[in-house]
Amino acid sequence: MAKVLMKGNEAMALAAIKAGCDAFYGYPITPQNELPEYLSKHMALNGRVFVQSESEVAAINMVYGAAGAGARALTSSSSPGIALKQEGISYMAGAELPGVIINVMRGGPGLGGIQPSQGDYKQITRGGGNGDYYLYSLAPESLQEAVDLIKESFDIADYFRNPVMIAVDGLIGQMMEPVTFDNETPKWELEPKTWAADGNRSNREKNIINSLYLDPLMLEKHNLKLKAKYDVMRDKHQRYEMINVKDAEIVIVAYGSMARIARTSIEILAEKGIKCGMIRPITIFPFPDKAFRKLQDSVKNILVVEMSTGQMLEDVKIANECERPIHFYGRVGGIVPEAEEVVSQVLKIIGGEDNA
Amino acid sequence: MKRITIISGHYGSGKSEISVNLAINNKIDYLVDLDIINPYFRSRGLADLLEEKNIHLVESTIKGMTGSDLPYISGEGVVPFVNPDITAIYDLGGTENGARVLIQFLDRVKDLNEIDFLCSVNIFRPETADVKGILDTIAMYEAETQLKITGLINNTNLINETEEVDLIRGEEILKEVGKKLNIPIVYTVVEETKKNFNHEFLGERITLIRYIAKKYL
Repeated sequence: MAKVLMKGNEAMALAAIKAGCDAFYGYPITPQNELPEYLSKHMALNGRVFVQSESEVAAINMVYGAAGAGARALTSSSSPGIALKQEGISYMAGAELPGVIINVMRGGPGLGGIQPSQGDYKQITRGGGNGDYYLYSLAPESLQEAVDLIKESFDIADYFRNPVMIAVDGLIGQMMEPVTFDNETPKWELEPKTWAADGNRSNREKNIINSLYLDPLMLEKHNLKLKAKYDVMRDKHQRYEMINVKDAEIVIVAYGSMARIARTSIEILAEKGIKCGMIRPITIFPFPDKAFRKLQDSVKNILVVEMSTGQMLEDVKIANECERPIHFYGRVGGIVPEAEEVVSQVLKIIGGEDNA
Repeated sequence: MKRITIISGHYGSGKSEISVNLAINNKIDYLVDLDIINPYFRSRGLADLLEEKNIHLVESTIKGMTGSDLPYISGEGVVPFVNPDITAIYDLGGTENGARVLIQFLDRVKDLNEIDFLCSVNIFRPETADVKGILDTIAMYEAETQLKITGLINNTNLINETEEVDLIRGEEILKEVGKKLNIPIVYTVVEETKKNFNHEFLGERITLIRYIAKKYL
């Protein structure tokens, strides 16, 4: 199939079908509605399951059930809806169930607004529910990257037996771009799901899907087993892109739509003779701290740009290990920073007007 | 151009950008944003620009509600159907639900000959990639609105990646659709960045400026 022009939400939905998603459960919310709308038609056409559940809480628990039975299950929502799903997500992590959750972020807190935001960074990267767990979290900057990552995300979820979060903002959900669904994506070596409660009535021991461990020693052992998975994610599966960093005097850190805008800022700055680079996290958990160790001495300042009041900023500070001054620029409320705003912030920092 | 032009098409077929371009190029009096489907990238964000060009934008009755999940439409939307001195472009929302909004005005129509009901088609949208898909889409719009589509807009594009041969292929497919329904291709849309496409396309050429989608997109 050659390239087609699609809206982000539709493209992500089709990518899930291509990834072998067996079942979708979800509840409507702007700005991700085209995603369940598309699946309501196309899951049936492909012989898969689509359920519009009675609530977000129901949806994530249906994902839990389907994943427990060995299916590839998906849910999607936007910020307030994702907040509602947190209990189920924590239970999935606890019961070691794979599944994919797409969050098309909008402004908050509370009901917030329907315009784009990156305000869920902490909720996504710190585990929004109870207990010691993390989600492998991918933050694409374009429709093509979203499609490719979603195609891979079901494998990643199965590999780790852990939920995967696709973190995009409303812009990615709503914009149109040419995409292809034919790109080769990395294949993960997957074990058969011998743990699934799939109704198998042979003589094997029965499988139980559960996150309850009343014996503290057993729970500690379970917690350490989960931690070992997160350690592997941190050690081996950080993803990031380093753009234009060679000889750069300043480096922007931005992800998702914000990175896309910063690319234009970098071009404008280059025209002015300023070498500005970018670290673009593709995984926001694990945070790509390895990228910071690759920065050259030429880099004198770091500028974090987000559609939030500074959430990823804290991860950058940890990764930076007090090496360089860190500055911040953000817009919130659904306002998307323009490339020129980022440019003037960089100029201020270089001119010594913005002291970190 | 007829006094009233209604632009329909699947979401993502370019309705809003085409509506704004047509309104500005032809000094139309009213641009009526009937899109109740899309939360983003709507013509209702352009009130200031349109005002400057003396085009009256009919949008929500509640000012500053571009971020509303309840995209009301002002009762003013009916004015061009009542007042024969006003020229107007109606920008419909995608999907059958978007089309249905139009029905409320139809009992005011005095002369159907004053109205062009156009369908914008981009063959790179999977639903309208071939003759059958386009015919199905048109049949849906006609069923929902109880109006006949009177013409086609060839808006074949992959944004920056569009090539001249793509538009020509779109034209071939639309010619077939036009033959089956006995309707013409009224406009062909060429992005301003692709001005060098020299092919003599069917219908009037719209050299499209993207007013709604910003540059970084």
